[in-house]
Amino acid sequence: MEEKKLITDAQSGDKKALAQVVKNYEQTIYNFAFKICRDRDKAEQVMQETFYSMIKSLHQFDGKSKLSTWLYRIVTNHCLMLARKIKSRQFVSIDDDEGLFEEKYTADWSSIPYKGAENKELREKLDDAIKKLAPEYRMIFLLRDVEGLSTEETAQVAELTVPAVKSRLHRARAFLRKELNQAFIK
Amino acid sequence: MSKEKIECKEVMKYVCQSLGDDLNSEKCAAIKAHLEECEDCKNYFKSVEITIDCYRKYNVDLPEDAHNRLMKFLDLEE
Repeated sequence: MEEKKLITDAQSGDKKALAQVVKNYEQTIYNFAFKICRDRDKAEQVMQETFYSMIKSLHQFDGKSKLSTWLYRIVTNHCLMLARKIKSRQFVSIDDDEGLFEEKYTADWSSIPYKGAENKELREKLDDAIKKLAPEYRMIFLLRDVEGLSTEETAQVAELTVPAVKSRLHRARAFLRKELNQAFIK
Repeated sequence: MSKEKIECKEVMKYVCQSLGDDLNSEKCAAIKAHLEECEDCKNYFKSVEITIDCYRKYNVDLPEDAHNRLMKFLDLEE
């Protein structure tokens, strides 16, 4: 069924249509929540809260943006709320560019074993690196580079200006690359 | 701009800022020319691409029991 019709039916109280909307997006939302939280239990909790919020406010959805963009905004907000609650980690500050870019760069990544996405050791390195990144930067990198939203959509989801998104994005990219460089090369 | 000597650090910063964007400015031409001839910056560019690629390929599947718990939580069980 076409998404627009599905949403209209769900908004009118059709439980079957609503269940279908949830099924259409549960994998995307769970996967994205995991990418921000880096923890399966937290990802499940955030997924449940996201769809609960979606159902509560579905009548307000006007179809002007894509449903996926709207859901990304809800899931991102829940992840940020959870991160604020936990507050146990100290994140590395990257609010200025100092130290993010080397004067001279020589490391060659051509031989690093990055192709096996199922590789446990690689996954640990990726988790460790991104966990150091503050959630405000993490979500921009994930929305734009990993989920493939446009810069404008990312700005809409994060409620930021386009220049602010670009600024956070380039710092997040440089930071993660530097962290992985240390993990891979040393 | 293109006649100006571009520092590697500036190229590295530009790579992080502009990856995935449509690169057509005059400055961009100078950056591209630098990337062509500088092995270090080429390696840097590649490493940023690999970083993004690694995170793109790292996905998790929703377990069936988590799906069932979700539908129960939302009162949408069939």
